Amino acid sequence: MRTKSLLIGDIRFQFKYGFYFLYAVFTILYIAILYMLPGRWREQAAIIMIFTDPAAMGLFFMGAIILFEKGERVLNSIAISPVKPYEYVISKLTSIAIISTAAAVLIGLGGRVISNYIYFILGVFLGSCLFSCIGIILAVNIKTLNQFIVATIPAEIIISLPAIAWLFGFKPLWLILHPGVCVIELCQNGENAFLAMFILAFWTFFAAVYAWRKVRKSFKSLGGIKL
Amino acid sequence: MIEVNNLNFSYTKNPFIEDMNFIVQSGEIFGFLGPSGAGKSTIQKILTGLITTYKGNVKVNNIEVKRHDSSFYENIGVDFEFPSLYEKLTSRENMVFFSSLYKKRQDIDTLLESVGLLKDADKKVSDFSKGMKSRLNFIKALVHDPQLLFLDEPTAGLDPSNSRRMKDIILQQKAMGKTILLTTHNMYDATELCDHVAFIADGKLRALDTPRNLIMSRGAAKVSYTYMCNGKEVRNEALLNSIGNDNMLQKLMQENKLLSIHSSEPTLNDIFVELTGRALQ
Ligand SMILES: Nc1ncnc2c1ncn2[C@@H]1O[C@H](COP(=O)(O)OP(=O)(O)O)[C@@H](O)[C@H]1O
Ligand SMILES: [Mg+2]
Repeated sequence: MRTKSLLIGDIRFQFKYGFYFLYAVFTILYIAILYMLPGRWREQAAIIMIFTDPAAMGLFFMGAIILFEKGERVLNSIAISPVKPYEYVISKLTSIAIISTAAAVLIGLGGRVISNYIYFILGVFLGSCLFSCIGIILAVNIKTLNQFIVATIPAEIIISLPAIAWLFGFKPLWLILHPGVCVIELCQNGENAFLAMFILAFWTFFAAVYAWRKVRKSFKSLGGIKL
Repeated sequence: MIEVNNLNFSYTKNPFIEDMNFIVQSGEIFGFLGPSGAGKSTIQKILTGLITTYKGNVKVNNIEVKRHDSSFYENIGVDFEFPSLYEKLTSRENMVFFSSLYKKRQDIDTLLESVGLLKDADKKVSDFSKGMKSRLNFIKALVHDPQLLFLDEPTAGLDPSNSRRMKDIILQQKAMGKTILLTTHNMYDATELCDHVAFIADGKLRALDTPRNLIMSRGAAKVSYTYMCNGKEVRNEALLNSIGNDNMLQKLMQENKLLSIHSSEPTLNDIFVELTGRALQ
């Protein structure tokens, strides 16, 4: 019930702060680009767009949302309400994952790359949650947007590089342990998609627990004491 | 309602709040009066669970605050010193969101109306003046009709008429049986609103009593008067409780020669300076 209230609040917040507008612009732009690309590039380009836009941009957006809430001291208001830290995290993850998945499906349809809807949606949804968790984990200890941007660079590289390598054919089986690779594998409905689903779910769960602990700690540190 | 025993806390290695003890009764307005930096907001953060590294016992509604669970907050309203609102949402959207987090809810338009913000309900908070933001922040603490209210400097930065309105709502909440803790550096507000006032300076509780007892405990009220003497205006003072012994005053009164006369009680500020060696502002 309270999580639902939070989710409605988060979606309204993201709408008002222009996140939906940004997603719409990127989605339309990407689809337009896909239509202009020669056919043989289309699939790989679409998968990269799906990976970087809805999935990986979540990391950045999530951090920005947390920084906004800290800057406007809304986090204090939430910390003195009955909201539990895990409800806060679930609402944040779900709100971004919904819009990310919607955008990914549209780009996927535009690029005609979706061959298994269940794997595709699972891959984008879980991937978005995972990257959002990383955004939360990075943002809770940071004050300014600049510091946050610097902190995201290594995170984005570690997430994206193996995934892009996999997409372009560097496919040793052990690399499927990497969550970014799992997202690609699921979106492409690859040979190892079934395995990737479990590995990605594991990573997402692990990251969500870590993000929850960070948020719980930060709620208790709002009074100015580092724990 | 609130019981604090041997509270110790500091942000740094140096001692700050040491061995603090006080009790807040159900249904009263309890004020922390002290200059900026005295530790009023810090005490409030401890009482509302935002600082959990204190030593000693702090019981709010019979719960040790350090070990509160989230239902602790269903019955507590907190008005922070600074606005804690979504700036890009309207005042109504803010109220709707925060009230959606609680089991018990109040009518939002009634709350907005009570602080004169109903006509600005659909304006973004970022377009609000400082005073409007503090009024909205205040009613945000009331959305779930809590039994216990923590107000950090509720009248700071408000013009006289809005300050009046705010104080009336605080008194109205008290009349409804609420318990209210507030902090202020304004001695008039403390005198007017509070059943008990705690003097805070440098993290220490220096006195705790009703405003009346605090004022009466020190220095008696004085009478000062002026008259003309050799073409010059002269000012004299006498203690109110021994005014009959002032021969000069007697004589001036009989001859109708007084230019002015008035009595003055010491203010909470006078008492505060006397007890702590510090001024309030
Ligand atoms: N987060 C913090 N970290 C370190 N010191 C702090 C922090 N918040 C307040 N202080 C210090 O603690 C003292 C009391 O502050 P505060 O409780 O805000 O006073 P008041 O509300 O009475 O003006 C001040 O000296 C202030 O500088
Ligand atoms: Mg303060």
